[in-house]
Amino acid sequence: MRDGRTNRIVLAILVLLSITLVIIDLRGSSSGPTAAIRSAGAAVLAPLERVSGAIFGPLLSLGDSLGSLGEKDQQIADLTAENARLRADLDLVANEKARVAELDSLLGLVGNNGYVTVPAQVIAVGPAQGFAWTVTIDAGTRDGVEPQMSVISGAGLVGRTISVTPTTATVLLIVDATSSVGARLAGTSQIGIVSGSGRQDALQMQLLDPLAVVDVGDIVVSFGSEADRPYAPGIPIGTVLEMRGTEGQLTRSALIQPYVDVSRLDIVGVVLRVDERAPREPLPMPTPTPTTDDSVLSPQTDDSVIPEESAAPDETAVP
Amino acid sequence: MMVIRRILLCAVLLLLAVVLEVTLLAPLPFPGATPPLVLVTVAALSFAFGPNTGAVCGFIGGLLLDTAPPAAGTLGITALLLTLVGYLLGRLGDPNDRPLFLSVGGTAAAGGLVVLGAAILGGLLGNPRIQWGDVPVMVITAALYAAFLAVLLIPLIQRLSRRLVPEAFAR
Repeated sequence: MRDGRTNRIVLAILVLLSITLVIIDLRGSSSGPTAAIRSAGAAVLAPLERVSGAIFGPLLSLGDSLGSLGEKDQQIADLTAENARLRADLDLVANEKARVAELDSLLGLVGNNGYVTVPAQVIAVGPAQGFAWTVTIDAGTRDGVEPQMSVISGAGLVGRTISVTPTTATVLLIVDATSSVGARLAGTSQIGIVSGSGRQDALQMQLLDPLAVVDVGDIVVSFGSEADRPYAPGIPIGTVLEMRGTEGQLTRSALIQPYVDVSRLDIVGVVLRVDERAPREPLPMPTPTPTTDDSVLSPQTDDSVIPEESAAPDETAVP
Repeated sequence: MMVIRRILLCAVLLLLAVVLEVTLLAPLPFPGATPPLVLVTVAALSFAFGPNTGAVCGFIGGLLLDTAPPAAGTLGITALLLTLVGYLLGRLGDPNDRPLFLSVGGTAAAGGLVVLGAAILGGLLGNPRIQWGDVPVMVITAALYAAFLAVLLIPLIQRLSRRLVPEAFAR
C-alpha cells in the first residue's frame, strides 16, 4: 500500500516537472532555464557522440545493406548482419575512397566560389519519429563554427548551423519543415523562398513574381543573406521538378529536387566566410560545355576546374 | 550502497542508449521510425527495478534524448512520455513472475504509443514538422523495432541487474 503511494507521488512529480519544462520551452527556447538544460545536456553528450561517431562512422557505410532489416525475415537479417561483419574490413577501404572523393568534390565547389570552409563529418542524426531533419557534425566553436553559418557538401547546400558546442554543431537541414532559404533561379534571376517540406526528396519554392516563367530543370541557387549569414550566396540548392499553380495566380510555387541527398551525408563543409572577390554569377545549365563562360560552377560534374584552365593563357601574357 | 550501484547502472545504460540511438541507429536507413533503444532500455530497467525507478529512468532518459545534439524538438515531451512508460510498464503483471511475451508485448505497445503521443502532443503544441501521413508507418515500425530490441535487451538487462544489484531482488 505504502509503496504504491510513493510510486504515485514520484510519478506525479516527474510528470509535473516534464509539463513545466514543455511550457517553459514553448515560451522561449533560446533563452531561460531550458536553454541552460539544453546546453548542459549537449555538454555531457557531445563528447560521447564524438567518440561513438568516430567508432561507428566508418561502419555506417554498411547502412544500405542493413536497411531492409525491418521488412525481410529474420534469417535474411541474420545472414546480412553476418555478411556485413565479414565485409567490414573491405568496406572500410571502400569507405575511405568514397570520403576522399567527397572531399575532392567539396574542394571543387569551394575553390570556385571562394568560400572559406571548415570540413566536418556527420556524427549523429535526430531520430526519425521526431520529424526534425537535423544532424550533428564534429566541428564546433573550437574550429571557428558559430550558429547561423551555411553548411555545404560537394553537391550543394546542406543547411545551416543552429547551435554549437565547443566540439560539435547542430545543423538544420534545408529539407526540415522549419527551414527557409532565400533563393533565385539561375538564368532568369527570379527570386523566391525555398522551404523544406519535411521530406528528404522535395523542397518547395514560393516565387515572389506570380508571372515568373519557370521551366522544369531550372537551377535554384541561394540568394545570400546579409553578411553571408546564415546563407552564403550562390550555393546550388536543386532543380525545378514541377510547377504548382497557374501563371498569374497570387502565389506560385515550384517543387524543387534538392541536389544534396540528406540521408547520405558524410563529409560536409561549414562556410566560415566568403572571400570578398568571390564571383556571384548564376549557375550555367547542369551539363556545361568546356567552352562556356568563366563562371562555370557545376555541382554534378567533375568539370569544374575548366575555367581555370581556360584562363591560363591570359596569365602567361602577364609579364 | 545498493542505491548508488542501482543509480550507476541506470545512468550508464541510459547514456549508452541515448548515444547509440543518435549516432548509430538514427543514421542507418531503417524504414519508418528509428529503433527506440532508449525506450526499450527504460522499459527493461522498469521491469527489473519496478515502477518507481522506471519512472525516474524514463524521465532522465527522455530528458537526455530531448537535449542530445541534434535534438530540435520541444524540451520535455519525450521526458513526459517516457516517465509514463517507465511507470506503467513497471506495474505490468507480477514483478516476480512476468512472462517474456508480456514484457515484450508491453514494450512494443509503448514503442508505438510514444510515437503517436509525441505526434499528437507536437501537433497540439503547434510543431510544424509533423507529417501526419507518415505517422501510421512510424507507429507500426517503432512498435516492431521496440519488440525486436525488447527480446534482446530485457533478459540481458534483467541478468545484469541481478548480478550488479542483487539486493534489489532479495525477497
